[in-house]
Amino acid sequence: MTSRTRTLSGWAVLLVAALVCALGGWSYAQARGDDDLAYAKSRDAALADGRVDLARLNSLDGKDGASIDAGLAAWLDASTGPLHDQLKRTREKDAAELKKSGATARGKVTDAALTEVDERTGTALMIATVDVEVTPRTGKAGTERKRFEATLVRTGDGWKIKALTALGIGGGA
Amino acid sequence: MKPGSGTTTDVVTDETDVATDETDVEGAEAGEAGVPGTAERARDDDTGAGAGAGADAGAGAGAPGGEETEAGPARRWPRVLAGVLAVVLLAAGGAFYVAGRQLRDTPATSNKALTDSAATTQVAGDVTNALGKVFSYGPGDTAATKASAQQLLAGKALQQYAALFGQVEKQAADQKLTLTTHVVRAGVTRLTHDSAHLLVFMDQVYERKGKAASTAAAQLSVTARLRQGRWTIVEIDAR
Repeated sequence: MTSRTRTLSGWAVLLVAALVCALGGWSYAQARGDDDLAYAKSRDAALADGRVDLARLNSLDGKDGASIDAGLAAWLDASTGPLHDQLKRTREKDAAELKKSGATARGKVTDAALTEVDERTGTALMIATVDVEVTPRTGKAGTERKRFEATLVRTGDGWKIKALTALGIGGGA
Repeated sequence: MKPGSGTTTDVVTDETDVATDETDVEGAEAGEAGVPGTAERARDDDTGAGAGAGADAGAGAGAPGGEETEAGPARRWPRVLAGVLAVVLLAAGGAFYVAGRQLRDTPATSNKALTDSAATTQVAGDVTNALGKVFSYGPGDTAATKASAQQLLAGKALQQYAALFGQVEKQAADQKLTLTTHVVRAGVTRLTHDSAHLLVFMDQVYERKGKAASTAAAQLSVTARLRQGRWTIVEIDAR
């Protein structure tokens, strides 16, 4: 009798083990295939990247030529698509103007929210408030409050800003 | 130990069959050792004196018991394999579960902003309506605005609003000031079942009697809580 009992309990242990494995696999597959979860992660990644990108696009160290070049390169790095192309086109002109003024800007995103995320097309719409602290070469620093609407696009290197609009008064309802 | 019923006999026979299968191997080994004999003999040799005492009965109970403990490598390996398989299956199941948990257990999952589009739309709508109401007033109806503020705001927001509204109320009466607030954008950053955080862009139109209207932009970070099925603003921060 012991042999049979042992054989049976052996099979029972195997069965339980197989069940545990199947349950674990099922739980993992559920998490993997959870569209809501993937969407939520895209949303958080878009907002985090968008905030960083927007802060960079509002910052520039006007100390000297090298820092201005680095700042303009950061602008290009934070943007993509039409905004990237536009910044690239005006880079020479921007550099010359910034060198002349020598002002330093430091942008800080005070709050940001996404109003849309399209997981399929990899685009998102972000609204954000930015405090830009501008220090002219001579004179006192001042802080400007700005509000923006940015279109974000997912790229191979994170989310980047494709279009940026300063939402002025009557920015459209 | 003689079988008493038919079923018991069957079981005993089964076990003897198993035992015989096994003892073939043992017999072969015994043969190599130069002891010719049947399977029965080989088993007797194996189990020694204990099995010998059982004689006939030993075939039914004693000997298979002996097989269990004295199993050779041929008998042991399926059991070892089964044990290893069980451990591997358990480990894999555990690993899958932990991996799935890690995928799920991020701040992303607890935040339902945009993932729950109905709830997101509702909170954005409620907050938009509330802000439009409490930040709009005419010279004659500050009382109505105050009353709606009591309904739509709570906690810290009510104090913040009271401080703000105290000056405005006087101005509205003295200068015949009318303020109209439009929400132009509202985005939900955090949303749980009863709490939400939003960023709201507003345009405010000031009209004084006999003067041209002026417009100002205002941005608010708003914290809201769900109370009795409606979102109530509990904190306001100007951005």
